[in-house]
Amino acid sequence: MQVELRGIAKRFPGVIANHDVDLTIRAGAVHALIGENGAGKSTLMKILYGVQGADDGTIVVDGRERHFSSPTDAIEAGIGMVFQHFMLADNLTVLENIVLGAEKMHGIGEKARGRVREISAEFGFDIDPDVRVAELGVAARQRVEILKVLYRGARLIILDEPTAVLVPQEVEVLFANLRELVASGCSVLFISHKLDEVLQIADDITVMRRGTTVGTADPATATRQQLAELMVGAELPSPELSADTVTDTPVLSLRSISLVDDTGRTLLADLDLTIHRGEIVGIAGVEGNGQTELVEVIMGMRRATEGSIVLAEEDITRLSVRKVRERGVGFIPEDRHRHGVVLDFSLWENRILGHQTTAPAVRGPLLSPGGARRDAERIIDAYDVRTPSVHTTARALSGGNQQKFIVGREMSGDPILLLASHPTRGVDVGAQAAIWDHIRRARQEGLGVLLISADLDELIGLSDRLEVILRGHFTAQLDPREVTAQELGTAMTGGAA
Amino acid sequence: MRHLTKAAVLVGAAAVVLSACGTAADNDDSDDNADGQQCEAVELEGDPQVALAYDVGGRGDQSFNDAAYAGLERAQTEFGFEGTEGEAASDESEEVREQRLRGFADDGYNVIVGVGFAYSESVDKVAPDYPNVSFAVIDGFDPTEDDVNCNVAYLTYAENEGSFLVGVAAAETTESNTVGFVGGVNNPLIQKFEAGFKAGVEEANPDAEVVTTYIEESDPRGFGDPAGGQAAAEGLINDGADVIFHAAGASGIGVFDAVTSADLWAIGVDSDQYLTASPEQQPHILTSMLKRVDVSTYDFIAAAFDGEPLSGYTEFTLADEGVDYSTSGDFLPADLVTEIDDYKQQIIDGDLEVPAEP
Amino acid sequence: MSQLVRRVTQMVTYSIVPTLVAIAAALLATAAIVWISGAPVGGFLEAMLSVPGQRDLVIIVNQASMIALSAFAAAICFRMNIFNIGVEGQYIIGACAGAFFAGSGIVPGPLNILATLVVAMLAGMAWAMIAAVLNVTRGVSEVISAIMLNYVALTLAGYLVKTYGSKSGYTFTTGTIPPSSQPLGFGIFSGAPDVWALSILAVIVAVGYSFLLGWTRFGFDLRTAGESRTAALANGINPKKMVLITMAISGAIAGLVWMPSFFGSTHTFGIPEYFQRGLGFTGLAVALLGRNTSLGIFFGATLFAFLSTQSNRLQSVGVGRDVVEITQGVVVLMVVIAFEISRRVKARREQESVARELGATSEGVRA
Repeated sequence: MQVELRGIAKRFPGVIANHDVDLTIRAGAVHALIGENGAGKSTLMKILYGVQGADDGTIVVDGRERHFSSPTDAIEAGIGMVFQHFMLADNLTVLENIVLGAEKMHGIGEKARGRVREISAEFGFDIDPDVRVAELGVAARQRVEILKVLYRGARLIILDEPTAVLVPQEVEVLFANLRELVASGCSVLFISHKLDEVLQIADDITVMRRGTTVGTADPATATRQQLAELMVGAELPSPELSADTVTDTPVLSLRSISLVDDTGRTLLADLDLTIHRGEIVGIAGVEGNGQTELVEVIMGMRRATEGSIVLAEEDITRLSVRKVRERGVGFIPEDRHRHGVVLDFSLWENRILGHQTTAPAVRGPLLSPGGARRDAERIIDAYDVRTPSVHTTARALSGGNQQKFIVGREMSGDPILLLASHPTRGVDVGAQAAIWDHIRRARQEGLGVLLISADLDELIGLSDRLEVILRGHFTAQLDPREVTAQELGTAMTGGAA
Repeated sequence: MRHLTKAAVLVGAAAVVLSACGTAADNDDSDDNADGQQCEAVELEGDPQVALAYDVGGRGDQSFNDAAYAGLERAQTEFGFEGTEGEAASDESEEVREQRLRGFADDGYNVIVGVGFAYSESVDKVAPDYPNVSFAVIDGFDPTEDDVNCNVAYLTYAENEGSFLVGVAAAETTESNTVGFVGGVNNPLIQKFEAGFKAGVEEANPDAEVVTTYIEESDPRGFGDPAGGQAAAEGLINDGADVIFHAAGASGIGVFDAVTSADLWAIGVDSDQYLTASPEQQPHILTSMLKRVDVSTYDFIAAAFDGEPLSGYTEFTLADEGVDYSTSGDFLPADLVTEIDDYKQQIIDGDLEVPAEP
Repeated sequence: MSQLVRRVTQMVTYSIVPTLVAIAAALLATAAIVWISGAPVGGFLEAMLSVPGQRDLVIIVNQASMIALSAFAAAICFRMNIFNIGVEGQYIIGACAGAFFAGSGIVPGPLNILATLVVAMLAGMAWAMIAAVLNVTRGVSEVISAIMLNYVALTLAGYLVKTYGSKSGYTFTTGTIPPSSQPLGFGIFSGAPDVWALSILAVIVAVGYSFLLGWTRFGFDLRTAGESRTAALANGINPKKMVLITMAISGAIAGLVWMPSFFGSTHTFGIPEYFQRGLGFTGLAVALLGRNTSLGIFFGATLFAFLSTQSNRLQSVGVGRDVVEITQGVVVLMVVIAFEISRRVKARREQESVARELGATSEGVRA
C-alpha cells in the first residue's frame, strides 16, 4: 500500500506544529521518520492515524484521497499504529486482547484463534494466542501489538520508537519480523531516534525539523553524521570523556551484596563494587539481569539480604530512601513516569520530590514554594527544559523535557553520588549532549556516578570503567577505551568477552 | 438567653470556642412549671385541621404508617375534611423533624399526629410554642416528665396483652415445644411484645421454651430488613422453633418466607397479616397480634372534632380493642379460640396481670 | 498576568462555571422526574428555590458544619488515594465514646468540652486504625473492612448504650452533659435557635486541612503518595506509613463529626432519636463534590444541607421528599462529569501552551 502526505499543516493557537509536510511511503518499504523531540513527528503521526485532523493538505492512500476523522477511519483505510506505551490488558490472553474491539471481524472463538495463529506463523511472530499477556516479556508484547494491528487488516503499520524498550538482540528479532512484513507487501513507518538502527532497517528516510520535512536520505549512502546534522542542523555531539578525573577516595562501596526475593530466586549474587570520587562506573547488561534491583538496594527501596553498603565511610545498608538521599545521593530512575515525576504535579512541586527535607524546597516542616519555584526556574534555564512556566504540570511536557528536568533536579544540591539509569532515554540528540555535559562537569568536581544504560555507545563513551551484569552476577570488567559495542554486546549475553 | 451578636460571631470565629461562648449553666432557665399541674383541654382556634407526620417509610409501607393513614381516612369520611401528610427522610436530624411539625402548625393545622415514638422529642420541643394546637405521638412518651405539655397526647398500646394471646396460640400449636420470637430492634418497645408473648407461652404450656432473637441492637433498619428477618427466623428454626412470632415491621416478610419454606407456622403483627400475605405464605400464618394504630389515630382526631382533644397518656388495651388477635385463615381450632378468649376476658377483668418487661 | 488574577480566572473557568452548570442540570433532571411522576413541577421548583426562613437557615448552617467535617475526613483520604468509606463507623464510635465521657462529667465545666473532643477524636482514630492496620499488614482492602466495621460500629454503640446507658422512653441513652459543660451557641437571629457553638470546628478543621496539605512537608508527602505510590517509594516516602497516618487523621476528624449536634442540641447519645446517622456517607459525596478542597467542601456541604432542609417544604406541594436524594446524586454525578471535561480542556490548553513554548524557543534559537 502506498501512502502519500502532501502539504500537511496543523496549527495550534499561536504555534504551527506541522507545515508543508510531504512524505511518500512506498508499498513494501520500511520508511523511517527521524527528527528531534518537538520536530512535529508526533503531530504528524496523529494526523495520519486520524487522532487529529489536518488544517491543510491531503492524505492519499493508493491513489485515493482520504479524510480520517477518527482512528476507526484510519484502521478502515488499512493504517494501524503501535504506540510506545503498550495498550494491552495484562490479565487477558493474547487472543482476548487482539479481538477486543474487533469482535465483528472473526468472532471471538476458534475462527479468531485460527486467524491469529495464521498471522503469527506468516511473519514468524511465535505467539501463542492463549497465553496471558502478563506472562509475556516486553518484546513479545510488542509483537502482540503488531499482531493486533495486522489482525485488523492494516497494510501500513506505524511504529513509534519501537526499539526504545528492546535490548540489541530483541531489536534484531523485531527487524527480522519487519522484513517479513514488507516482503508480504505491507509498509512500515518507523519512527526513531537511533540513527544506527534507522540506517540498518530503513529503505527510505525522511527527516523532520521544526514542524516540516527538511529532507530525505538514502540509507545505502547516508552516514550517521549526515542524518544527525540534518536533524539538528549542527555538529553531532559525542559522549567521549576528556581528562581522567578518577581519584582514590571511595564514594560508594558495595560489599558482598546479595538479594533473594520472596520466592527464593537470587536477584543479586555477592556483588562487590567501589566507585571513587570523580569516577563513572557503567553497568552493562541486558535489561532484567539485576540492574534495577541493584539500584533499588543502594537507594534503600529494597533491603539487601546480605552484605553492606558504605557511602563516604558511613554504612547506609539499613537506611531509608529519604536518609540515603539526604546523604547526597542523586537518583535518575529508569522509569520516569512511575518513579521520577508525579505527572499531575506542577514542575515546581516536582522540584520538591525526592528533596522534601533539603533546602531550598523546604523550610523546617514547611514547604518553601518560593524557593522551589526559583530553583525549578534555574533548572529550566540550565537544562533547557522547554515549558511555558514552572506552573505547568509534568504531564504536559514531552518525555525528553521531563527527563531533562529530572536530571537537573537530581544534580542540584551537589550530590556526591549519582545513580543514573538510562539518563538520556527518550531524549533528543541536542539534549542528550547537554545531559552528558552536565554529568561530565559534575564528575570533574568529584561526583561519583553509577551509570546504567541500554545505549552501548553511551556506556562506552561516558564510563571510566565497565562492569557486566548477568543474572545478578558481575561477570566481566571491561575497559571502555578498548572495548567495542559488539564485544560488549557479546559479554552481556554471556559469551566470551 | 445570652446571645452573641453577629459581630461577636465574626470575631469569635478565630477565638477559642470555650472563651467565647460560656455554657448553659451560666444562665439556667428557671422553669417553674409546677409539678403535677392540672391540664385543661386545648382550645383549638377555628375548625380542626388535621396533619399526619409519618415516620421513615411514609404512606405505602404496608405497616405502621399505613395503619395511621387508615385512621385518618376513616375520620375524613366521617367528619368530611381534607387532611395533609408529611414524610420523614431517612437519617434526618432532630431539628428537621421539628421543622416539619412547625411547618404544619404555621400553615394552620391544629391537630397534628406524629406517627412513631421518634417524634416524642420533637413534639415535646415544638408543643410549647403552639399552645392552641393539639399534638399526638403514636407510641409516644414524654421525655421531660416533670414539665408536662398539656396539648400533647401520647397514644400507647398494651402490646404485652395482645402478645400474651398469640403466645397462648403458639404454645398450644407447637409440636417441638419450642417457639420463637423475632424482634426488629432490641428496644423497650419491642421487648414489651416479647414479654407478653413469653408470659402467654409460659401460662398455656409451661414445658415450652421460647427462643428469642433481635435483628438489630438499635438501628431502626431492623424494621425494614426482610433478609435479616429471614436469617433470624432460620436461626430460630435451627434451634427447634416451629412457631415464630415476629415484631419486626417489614422485616417480617422474611420471617414468613423462612417458615413457608420450612413448612412451619408464623404469627403476624400490627395488622391482620394473613390478609396481605402472598398466597404461598397464607397457609403458614397462624394468627396475628393486632395493634390498632388506626383506631387510636381515629379516636384522637374524633376527640378533637368533639371539642375535647386528648392530653397526656392514653393506653389502648384489650378492653377497648386497641390490641387483639386475628383468626383469619381459620387455623386456630375452636377449642383454642375458646381458651384464648378466656384468657382475654381474664386480662380485661384484671384477673391476670401481663408483664411489660421480659 | 499576576499570580492572583491567574488563579482567580482559573478558578472561575475550571471550578465555578462547571459547578453551576452541574447544579442547574441536576435540578432540571429532578424536575423532569417529578414531571414524569405526575407531580407539580412548578410547586417542586418553587419549594426548592424559595428563600429559607431563619430557623431553616440555622439548620442549614448546623447541618453543613457536620457534613463538612465528615467530608474533610473523607477528603484527606481521597488525597492519599484511599477510600475511607468507614467515616460512618468512625463517627458513630467517636460520638458514642465522646457522649459517655461527657455525660460522666469526670472533667468539670467547660474543660469537659475540650476533653470530650479529644476522647471522640481518639475513639474515631482507633476505629479507623483497625481498617488501616489490616490494610497495611494483611493487604485487606480498606473499603471492604471499613464497610463491615460500619455495621459493627453501629451494633457496638447500640450494645454499649443499652448495657451502660439508661432508658429514656423507648431508647437507651448515655448520661446527659452537665449544664456547666453545655456551650452556648451563636445567636444570629433573635427568633430562631442558636447556631451550635461547635459548628466552628468545621472552620478550624478546614483551615488545618488546607494548611497541612498545601504548606507542609507532610502534606506534600501525602499528596505524592496519593498521586503515585511508586514515585513516593522512590523518593523517600513510605506509602504504608502514610496510609496509617492518613487514616488516623481521617478517623480523628470523623470522631468530631457529630460533636456540634451533641453539644449544641441533643446533649446525650442514643439511637435513633438522639443521634443522626448517615453523615459519613453524605461526607463522602460532598468530598467528591468539593473536589477535596476546603472551599469546595464548604460549598458542597451547604448545598447538601440546603437541599435536604428545603425538601421538608415539599410535603406541602405533594411531592415525595426523597426526590431530593436524586438531586443530590445527580449533582455529584454532573460535577464529576463537568470537572472531567474541564480537566481535559485545561490539559489541552496547557499542552498547547507547551507547544507554543517549543515553537517559540526553536524559532528563537534558529533565528
